[in-house]
Formats: sequence, structure tokens, C-alpha cells
Amino acid sequence: MQGANILLEPGVFPRLLQGLWVTIWIAAVSVALSVPVGLVCGWLMTLRNPVIRFVMRVYLDFIRIMPQLALLFIAYYGIARAWNWNLDATGACVLVFILWGGAELGDLTRGALQSIPEVQHETAYMLGLSNWQAFIHVILPQAVRRLLPGSVNLATRIVKTTSLAVLLGVVEVIKVGQQIIDANRFQYPTGTLWVYGVIFLMYFIVCWPLSLVAHALEKRWAND
Amino acid sequence: MLDWSFIGRYASFFVNGAWMTLFISVFGIALAIVTGVVCAAIQTARIPVLRQLVAVYIEVSRNTPLLVQLYFLYFGLPKLGFVWSAEMCAIIGLGFLGGSYMAESMRAGLQAVPQIQRENAYMLGFNRRQTLVHVVIPQAISVSTPGLVANVIFLIKESSVVSAIALADVMYMAKDLMGITYDTYEALFMLIVTYLIILLPISILGTWLERRFDYARR
Amino acid sequence: MTETTERTGRDDTIALKVTDLKKHYADAERNVFDGISFEVPKGKVLVIVGPSGSGKSTLLRAIAGLEPIQGGTIALDGTVIETGRPGNEKSGRVKRSEELRTKFGMVFQSYDLFPNKDVLGNITMAPLLVQKRKKDEVEREALELLERVHLADRAHAKPHELSGGQRQRVAICRALILHPEILLLDEITAALDPEMVHEVLEVVVELADAGQTMLIVTHEMSFARAIADRVILLADGRIEERSADAEEFFTHPKTERAREFLHSFDFVRHRDAQAERELREFDAQ
Repeated sequence: MQGANILLEPGVFPRLLQGLWVTIWIAAVSVALSVPVGLVCGWLMTLRNPVIRFVMRVYLDFIRIMPQLALLFIAYYGIARAWNWNLDATGACVLVFILWGGAELGDLTRGALQSIPEVQHETAYMLGLSNWQAFIHVILPQAVRRLLPGSVNLATRIVKTTSLAVLLGVVEVIKVGQQIIDANRFQYPTGTLWVYGVIFLMYFIVCWPLSLVAHALEKRWAND
Repeated sequence: MLDWSFIGRYASFFVNGAWMTLFISVFGIALAIVTGVVCAAIQTARIPVLRQLVAVYIEVSRNTPLLVQLYFLYFGLPKLGFVWSAEMCAIIGLGFLGGSYMAESMRAGLQAVPQIQRENAYMLGFNRRQTLVHVVIPQAISVSTPGLVANVIFLIKESSVVSAIALADVMYMAKDLMGITYDTYEALFMLIVTYLIILLPISILGTWLERRFDYARR
Repeated sequence: MTETTERTGRDDTIALKVTDLKKHYADAERNVFDGISFEVPKGKVLVIVGPSGSGKSTLLRAIAGLEPIQGGTIALDGTVIETGRPGNEKSGRVKRSEELRTKFGMVFQSYDLFPNKDVLGNITMAPLLVQKRKKDEVEREALELLERVHLADRAHAKPHELSGGQRQRVAICRALILHPEILLLDEITAALDPEMVHEVLEVVVELADAGQTMLIVTHEMSFARAIADRVILLADGRIEERSADAEEFFTHPKTERAREFLHSFDFVRHRDAQAERELREFDAQ
């Protein structure tokens, strides 16, 4: 049990928290940028133009069927080199999460927009609202309610998936943990258990509240 | 352009990788289904204490990344004396992660069976077991199936993470070949193709099953 | 109107006897029923009518054992099968033996066939599983029943391939094959398109003519009038009027409440007739 003392070594906990901060930062930037991308994708998916439909379909299906780790490799080793981009590992992660989050959020947006009954559009039209007014005052508020629970769930998934960043060499919470384990290898041979245990807990503490929020939203708006 | 001779030279690497991916996935998914059935049964039967434990398990499993679960199993637990092979860790990890997803899909199916179906079974004199076997489960399966197939796809995708504990799956092969040959595009191309060959048929099967079972929700 | 309810002891002519039935929900202040008594003689049809929310369906469900009761008794064929007890408010199905349950045949308002079985499978499931009867005998009877409801050619159709009216007729067969002492019909035409109501009611009328004991809850007044041997008007959980002569009830109701209730249907019918007349005039132009 004295392996647990590794966590009390000076600097260990603050460093883990710094690592966690990097993780959260990557996730937060990705989620924030996914929102506009997702809304645009969702709007594009509702269009009737067959070319746009086909392109969006392929985009969504490809993103969905590929493991996220494969997408990260494609972005980091493939796309960056092909376009001579000086994309670092963190950048590749954010790029992939935006493309992934955007596609998923796009599909959620499409579903939400299409689930609003035609009669709502017709009523707005009969009341003399312009298309834009109808969208802002009638359609969007209803769509957001249907969109939100799924979006919060998606955010949880993005946070969990940031763990893969370590495999591209990003110095986030897992990498920091590995460095701590290596540095204390002889002093705390069982430190591995405790450090990974703490990282496990940290992810849970970040993700769980998000799940609860998503669940609460689902329950509250289920009957609307 | 792509160097097509690369594909001939290294195709066997990806075939071996695919076998490893499938090996880990099949056993991991089997474990996940067993875990899911047990958890869904406990929750549906509302067994006290066990029910709360299942709830905790589901939250923990769903809210932590597989990579961290694997590191904990593979590097952490041996310090307590639990030494498992990488394959075993990968299977247990997938089963631990997938069990909660499977349980949720099954529970959703069970809850989707309308109350009136159970009332009918009662009026026709069915006992609890007959009601479950002949009325509730057949209908629950048709509702659960799309979710279960989605979980299968999700778990095969997640299995790409096992390369991080040195298992030679598809992902590992691609990374390895990029390191050895510097033929990055060819390796990535093969990575994509191999995953498409594994996952596309399951995805198409899922869509087909969803359409077939649709009558249950009409 | 109380000539039989006051009587005590066994009576071979009575199929179902409900005495002083009380029901309330745990969270509600008002009682759903506060002492309801009536009986259904063998081979007769009792129809319960009343405004929405009067508790008609709840009464049927309580008799079926789908909801617990908090007072009174339910007797089937002279034997008390359930005695209500206060403190029994938790809703849910009552513990009854499989055999006893099959003595009540129930058809619900919504289409409730098992979607995973075809028509024949739906009908034969209970006799095979519960009554352990022989397969060929059960299937023969099922086909005879389907013949009676004019659905013999749909024996292998899946429920989703049938119309609402056809599903309800299959549901009736599924209840009949168990040879229930009494058939409980809960608004079986309420969810149907108007043109399908007739085909279902026709089947029920034939059953009544064949001497099937039935307890029916319905909104279809002309159907009630055609089929009822006895009528009960239920309102606010109380029996407002009961009549052993159905024709008498519909033509000369005794209570103000019954007159009001029947009048509302007359008004509807009157309005429909007027609409039709206007339409005909319009067509003539």
C-alpha cells in the first residue's frame, strides 16, 4: 500500500492536474468548434441536392465506420504530410475531433430539424413570418431541445477519446502519468497501479457529470 | 500516387492484424454480451444491492476511456499480483466497456415492450416464465437488435486501442510498417481498406436488420 | 333493479357477481368506486355505458385482475375469487392462478396481438402453453374460429399486415379459444376507423346470439342497444341507473342522469343527420 505515497510526492498531483487540464482543453476546443461545423453539416444534410446529399452521406459514414485512432493516424501522418502542413500532434487531434464531432452533431441536427412537424412551418407561414423569422423563433428553439441531450453525450465521448492523444505523443494526463511512473520506478515499484487508478478516476470525475446532465435533459424533454 | 507493389508485399501483415483484431473483438464482444445479459436481468428483476452495484458499474464503464482501462489492467493490476497476458487484458477491457453498452440496449428493448402485452399474457394465463420467453423477449430482441449491432461495430472500432498494449492488430501493423518502410500513404490506405472490409458488412447487416425488425415498433 | 343483488347464497344462473366493490388509488383523494354491485347471468350480455372518465375501463380491469381492489368481492360461477382489502393500493396485476385467469377472456381497446407471431400463432399460443392441449386439435379449433370471424384465409398473416378491424377479430378468437366463462370487451371499437367498426360488432352480436356470456364497455350506443340484455349507466364511479330491460333503458330512461347522457348521443346523431342532409342538397345543386 505504500505505493500510494507516490501521489503525495511533491509536484506529482499538480502535474497530473496540469495534464488533465491539457486533456480538457483539447476536448473543450474540439467541442466548441464542432458546434458550428455540426450545425452547417446538419443544414447541408437536410438539403435535397443529390450531390451534397451524397457527399455528406459518404463523409458521415466514413467518419463513423473508422476507428478514431485510425482517423488520428490518417490526420497526423497522412493529411499533414500530403499538404505539407506543419500540424503538430495536438493540432491533429483537434482537427480529427472537429471533423468527427461535426459529422455526429450534423446528424443529430438533421434528425432534430426533420423531427419538427411540417405543420409548424405551415403555421409560421400562415402567420406571415419570414423564412428566417420562422427558423429563429419557431424551428430552432424546438430543434435545440431535441439536439441538446445527444450533444452533451457527444461531448462525453469526445472527452473520453482525447485519451488517444497520448498515442500521438501529446503530453496530456496519461503521458504525464507515464513520466511520473518512470521517474519513480525504483522508489515506488507499485506506483503504476496508483497513478493509472487516479487517471481513471479523473476521467470519471470529468465525464460522469456530463452524462448526468445528458440524462437529465433527456428525461426532462422526453415528453415534449 | 500509391505504390501498388507495397500492397502485394505487405498484405499478409494486414491479414494477420485483422485476425488479431477479430480474435480480440469476438471474445471481447462475447464477454460483453454475457455481462450485458446478467446486468439487464438484475436491473429488470430489481434485485436489491446487486441492482445498485450494476448501476455503479455501468456509470464507471461508460464514463472512462478504454485506453485508461487497459493501462490499468495491463500495467497497474500486476502490481497487486494479477498478471494477465495482453490478449486477456484486451478481452477483459472490451468486455468491461461493452457490457454496460449491451446492458443498456437490452434494457431499452425490454422497456419498449408495451404493458398491454404483459396484460394480455396474464389474461391468457401465461406464467412469468412463459410471458418472458414467448411474449416479452421476442419483442425486446427486435427493438434491441439495431442497438446491439451498433455496439458490436463500436467495440470492434474500440479494439484498435489494444495496439497500445503491444497487441499486433490492424492498427499496430499500420504503425509498424510506417516506421519500417516510410511508405506512409500505402500503410494508411491498407489500414482504411482493412477496417472497411471488417466493418462494412456488419454495418450493412445492421441496417438490414433494423428494417426487418421495424414492424415491432409500428 | 335490486331483485337479484340482494339475494345471497349460490346461484347456478349467475356467471359473475360483483359485490360492494371499492377502489381507490394511493395518491388520489376521491374513490374510483365506492361500493359497486352487479351481476352477469350466464349466457347474458351486460353492457356498461357512461361518460369518459366514469371508471368503466377501470371496473373491467379490476374484474380481470389487472388492478387490485380495496373492498368488496368478485365471484365467478358462485365462488368468490377475490376479496378487496384496504392498503392494497399498489397498482399492478393481482396474483391469480393460470387456470382462473383463462376463465376471463379479455379484448382491449388497442390492437394488442403479439407482433412476433402470426395469426394462428397468436390464437394457439395459450391453449398450447397454458392448457397443454394437443396441437392438431387446437389448430383445428383455431381455424374454425377464424372461419366464424371470416378470417380463415389470413391464418398465416402477421399482425402488422392486418387492418385494425381484422386484428380485433383475431383478438376475439384468441380469447374465445380458451372457452372463458365470461368475455370482457373494453371499448374494442374505439381505436378503429368507422368503416371497420361494423365488421367487429357483427362478430360480437353473433357471439351473443350463440349464448356467450359477456361484459361489455362501449361508446357505441346503437351497438349497446342491439346487444344488451342488461345495462348499467356508470358515472363518477357510481351506478346511476341499471336496467334489466335494455330497450326500456334506451327509450324510457328512469333517471335524469341517464336522460342527459342519452340525449348527448341523440344530439350527435341529429347533427350527423343534418350534415348529411346538407351534403345531399349540395350534391343536388
